[in-house]
Amino acid sequence: MATVQFKGIVKKFGDNLVLNGVDVDIKDHEFVVIVGPSGCGKTTLLRMLAGLEEITDGEILIDNLLVNELHPSKREIAMVFQDYALYPHMTVEENMNFALRLRKMDKAEIASRVAEASNVLQLNKFLKRMPKQLSGGQRQRVAIGRAIVRKPKVFLFDEPLSNLDAKLREEMRVEIAKLYQRLNATIIYVTHDQVEAMTLAGRIVIMNHGIVQQVGSPIEVYRKPCNLFVAGFIGSPTMNFMTGKLALEGEALFFKNEDIKLSIPPYLLSDAKKHDGREVVLGVRPDDVLVERDGEKCSDKVQGVLEVCELLGHRENLYLKVGGMRVLATVEAFFNRSPGSAVTLCFNYKNMHVFDKATESRISE
Amino acid sequence: MDILKSIYEVVWFILLVAAGVAALEGYFYTHFKFYARAWFFPAVLGVFPALALAVFGGLLGGYTFKLWLYFLLAEAAIAAFFRYAVKGRHTVPYLLLAPAFVGLALLLVYPFVFEVYLSFHDLKLTTIMMWKNTGTLPFVGIDQYVKVFTTSPLSEVTFWALLGRTLLWTFSNVFFHVAGGFILALMLNNQIRFKGFYRTLLVIPWAMPQVVAVLAMRGEFHSTNGFVNILIGKLLAVFPFLAALGVAPVQWLTDYPLLTCTLINIWLGIPFMMVVILGGLQSISSSYYDAADIDGASYFQKLRFITMPLVRPVMMPAVTLGTVWTFNNINVIYLVTGQAGGTEQADILVSALYKAAFTYNRYSYSAAFAIVVFAMLFFFSVFYLKSFDAAKDER
Repeated sequence: MATVQFKGIVKKFGDNLVLNGVDVDIKDHEFVVIVGPSGCGKTTLLRMLAGLEEITDGEILIDNLLVNELHPSKREIAMVFQDYALYPHMTVEENMNFALRLRKMDKAEIASRVAEASNVLQLNKFLKRMPKQLSGGQRQRVAIGRAIVRKPKVFLFDEPLSNLDAKLREEMRVEIAKLYQRLNATIIYVTHDQVEAMTLAGRIVIMNHGIVQQVGSPIEVYRKPCNLFVAGFIGSPTMNFMTGKLALEGEALFFKNEDIKLSIPPYLLSDAKKHDGREVVLGVRPDDVLVERDGEKCSDKVQGVLEVCELLGHRENLYLKVGGMRVLATVEAFFNRSPGSAVTLCFNYKNMHVFDKATESRISE
Repeated sequence: MDILKSIYEVVWFILLVAAGVAALEGYFYTHFKFYARAWFFPAVLGVFPALALAVFGGLLGGYTFKLWLYFLLAEAAIAAFFRYAVKGRHTVPYLLLAPAFVGLALLLVYPFVFEVYLSFHDLKLTTIMMWKNTGTLPFVGIDQYVKVFTTSPLSEVTFWALLGRTLLWTFSNVFFHVAGGFILALMLNNQIRFKGFYRTLLVIPWAMPQVVAVLAMRGEFHSTNGFVNILIGKLLAVFPFLAALGVAPVQWLTDYPLLTCTLINIWLGIPFMMVVILGGLQSISSSYYDAADIDGASYFQKLRFITMPLVRPVMMPAVTLGTVWTFNNINVIYLVTGQAGGTEQADILVSALYKAAFTYNRYSYSAAFAIVVFAMLFFFSVFYLKSFDAAKDER
């Protein structure tokens, strides 16, 4: 197993800057998920690590070995592709041992490795089948098996679950988590799905516009998003944002806009004087909007109108209108009010985030 | 005024075709509409054979009782078919198909049936007047087929020698078409500048009328004025040691006619294969190559394990077609060597067949010959497509 380092990675397609100085250190045995919206450069980064794309500038090191000019096959990596890329004219077994056959490995060794991998992935029954005869999930397992038999230093997964339906995706997510526990390998996993990122990752790398926005454990990026993009991207349903201005009234700091006025306690923003007159965005997750409830360390009550209820089963999404602002609250199921009724709500200060409007970066503790 | 006359003739012809189609549609419509009426059989049997006799009798020369009887029998069969099998169903689809179907029957079915008829009779220069005067030919059974395998269609070459030559010609041509087309397609499939321009240039021999292309190339193989020999001459002047290796200008058209034909036909056939294979190459997902890169496959391993097997499904039908076309390719052979006084050294089965029919006037013999050639190609194609289907089912 191995460490991976990206140092100042830049990638240009013609004049189009795709990656702009990416620095990430990945430790041995770590499961890192690179997540971001489509076009953010995450797949390009992975393909550069695999050696399938030229590196415009910067350095990539695997186990402290500079691999910039190394052929993909010499990097000791294995990649699972989004479309699986199983060779359609070869059986499952031939697909899995193709790389080993090319290396002219001993036949007995090849057979034992394929047997081992197919045991792990429960592919024994399918070894003689063609990829066409397999379901999506089975194909995905073959693609993973093809990676396992090579015993690589680093596993690369390029959106491996995005071609599967929702139910199968959940199952495969658990499979991959189990596989990681078993292999304990260094895994780099690219996805646009923040749920996959949150559930699988040891560490998440969030990217946007070719720049790393934040690196941290799932709970870190969820609890302390470092900027507006991360705050909006991680978490489902999406965080509520309220734009307004900070104003000092006496000693206390207030957040104001046309619709609401909230006091900002010192444990959220210390040094109140410094922030007077600053344009900010307040962020509150739907779970931290308390409707018709009191809580410890909560803001003042605000009046709102219930627009739409969405029952999810054990939870319920409430779409509220506070003045001209829309606020989404997620509450325990059976909030028995009809749309149009007036409600009072407050925000949980413990999980409130304050971002500067101009720089979009976090200023709260 | 001549132009007016031409326009008049064209309009008249169009009207004639339209009237023919209308008559045809009316004929079928009657059968679709009234198949169940009590008066259906007497009416159609009374009207249509008589009408047909009036029209075709004039065209064929003679309103004979026998001809009317044929029409009557045909009409009875058709009427019964409509009454008991079609029963007025699918009227519109059949009516729409009818003109094309009748056109095909006239252009394909009738000649084929006539060819089979000829091959069991004896039509040649000495019997053609008898056929014209009496309308009958001596029946000879399978004599013509026996002759195909035992006598020469030309003055000296035997059927078996021609068959061997044809197989050699077909194999060498198709082999070089595929090999050349594959190499060019691989080159064009890369990211290169002016790709469209190169592709256009390479397709020109295929896009040009074959007669023009072949005659132009034939000129280039002329012993003194063709560029092939001029090029060899210049090369010899620059590299005199080539002469020691046996390189010298040769009389292409008289000494090596089959080789010349092969070279020209290879040049003509490569673009088609190139276009087909290029299409196949472009349909291969690049992620296979990415996966193979990571698996550590070299360029030639990728070619062998990825490109070749994945291009095969598009290439096989093209190879089948190419084989049939080359086997049947009379154009190149005839245009290069076939004019009066031409050599027999380059003849393949179909060009010999053409000469047997139209130079030596052995019509029935040629008909049998053509059916033998047809049978060979038919079984080849069926076998090929079957094995191709089997290969496809494996996937």
